[in-house]
Amino acid sequence: MRSPDRMRQAGSLDWHWMAQCAESGLALLRAAQNPDGGWGYFPGNASWLEPTAYALLALSEEAEARRGIDRGMRLLDRWVLSAGGWQASEAVKGAHWASSLVVTLHTALGRHDESTARAVDWLLETSGAETRTVSRIAHWLSPRTVEFDASLSGWPWQPGTSAWIEPTAHVLMALRHLARGGHPGARERVAAGQAMLLERRCRDGGWNYGNRRVLGVDLPSHPETTALALMALDGHPEIRWGEMLDRVERLYRETRSPWARAWLGACLLQYRGVRPESRPAGNDLLVTAVEAIRWDRIMGAA
Amino acid sequence: MTRRRFLEAGVAASAGLAACRTPRAPASRAQRPAVAIVRASSYRVDLLDCLWRGAAACGLEARGKRVLLKPNLVECERGGVIHTQAEVLAAAMELFERLGAAEVRIGEGPGHRRDAFFLAEEAGYRAAIPGFEGRFTDLNRGDVVRVSPFPGGEIYLARTAAAADLVVSVARMKTHHWAGATLSLKNLFGVIPGAIYGWPKNRLHQIGIAQAVAALYRTFPRAFAIVDGIVGMEGNGPVQGRPRACGALVMGSDLAAVDATACRVMGIDPMKIEYLRLAGHGRCLPEAGTEQRGESIGSVRTPFALIPEFQHLRLA
Repeated sequence: MRSPDRMRQAGSLDWHWMAQCAESGLALLRAAQNPDGGWGYFPGNASWLEPTAYALLALSEEAEARRGIDRGMRLLDRWVLSAGGWQASEAVKGAHWASSLVVTLHTALGRHDESTARAVDWLLETSGAETRTVSRIAHWLSPRTVEFDASLSGWPWQPGTSAWIEPTAHVLMALRHLARGGHPGARERVAAGQAMLLERRCRDGGWNYGNRRVLGVDLPSHPETTALALMALDGHPEIRWGEMLDRVERLYRETRSPWARAWLGACLLQYRGVRPESRPAGNDLLVTAVEAIRWDRIMGAA
Repeated sequence: MTRRRFLEAGVAASAGLAACRTPRAPASRAQRPAVAIVRASSYRVDLLDCLWRGAAACGLEARGKRVLLKPNLVECERGGVIHTQAEVLAAAMELFERLGAAEVRIGEGPGHRRDAFFLAEEAGYRAAIPGFEGRFTDLNRGDVVRVSPFPGGEIYLARTAAAADLVVSVARMKTHHWAGATLSLKNLFGVIPGAIYGWPKNRLHQIGIAQAVAALYRTFPRAFAIVDGIVGMEGNGPVQGRPRACGALVMGSDLAAVDATACRVMGIDPMKIEYLRLAGHGRCLPEAGTEQRGESIGSVRTPFALIPEFQHLRLA
């Protein structure tokens, strides 16, 4: 297997070789690990927290990837923050939204240490800016601008900003085991977060990034965020699951977006235990990783 | 000196490491910037010729420069008018190659959806631009540089954009339900990396759209604008509006001046667009403050429908 250094030689990537690797997502991920132990969004790019967390989740059940996982975890240990969470990359400090993915990774690996506990505390303390008093007054004065229930608390991409569907979904997936285990803070926040997702559902029945209705106009949903929201709702009784999963299957067949297809496939794997036949993801390591993760086991792990 | 570099040298020196850039004093742009209006009745006309004439009218220089074309792909709908038209982007690519640019790349960091390559495919870029895959950079997911000061303290930018000698904002002429109009300046939101700020880049809204746009204007003094008004979007833009044919391209090196002119074409008073007021400090926003070249504003003026909340923006 070629190393990332070799891949970077001559300033270009070996596309032919990568195309072969893409046939096996796990092989591509193993080969694309950076010397620092992390993964970039694309092979040969600098490591970031998000692709590193996804790649490690994908490799977490691979016995032959043990050394790679250890190297990746060492990088995450260097990026852990004393105030909770993990930084975005070597250069970008400050707790990053993908910290929720690392909590999910820790659960998958059966690792529960001080960094996990601090990250969970940080996640429980973080909420969208729209729940602040000033924002709620502004929303009360102009409710039609963006229609949503400001009392329902989700999670933002960045502290100090509003809550959106994708970061909320990731935190809900990260906290679900704690909530099921009776952790009082987690149980309360998971319930509120799921209520927020349900309230932000688009009129067409799916989800977009998080605005369902703006200035009196309904906005359409997007397939990838629809899949993520369904995964985070975790069998919630307000969803007609048979109907929705049939819709997810249909979206999977119809969408041309590899990113959307990866999440729709993940959703089907979680709920129906089957992964639709995937197509080569090219050199996008995020898509490759999301397609390779055993979401049925990740979401079932305790 | 008509332009002054804000950005300290060596920004791009270390791949993978974010360099901190400190803008110096505000750039001194041309006192009376040139803005060209070129007629183009449809996307089937010789767009390269149209852009060539507009570039010549503005005295555009690109020889030896590393150019980044920044289209608008906030979202995309096949056959729709949300995104920058593929034919215009392809013609811009050819224009800068013919002008002798050392490198012409395309970069965008979509604001609502994460799959930039998919959006580019849907927009027809891959089909319209030879070798598109090798030229395109997803600005949401790459190396970054830190810029300080910026409203709110600091901000990270996509390194591909920060390292370019010339950032060319290739935007569609659209109304915008928060800002009034989205043209070449608002299009710069796409150089802010989603990997840090998310989808949407809500931090910019927290800072204030107007403040963030004005700061980006100061951060990119070496820029050029091509605003595609051949068919724009009116009403509930930037995503849910209706097509509005205007038949004109607006171009120039001062993005605030270009956007102010485009607003006048749309029947919008640029002095009432907050980010243009902040960006221009009143300098190039009055019509007399711009050196108009090519067609006159009046000859292509096409009032765009405005949502009820923005009726007060209408040009008297």
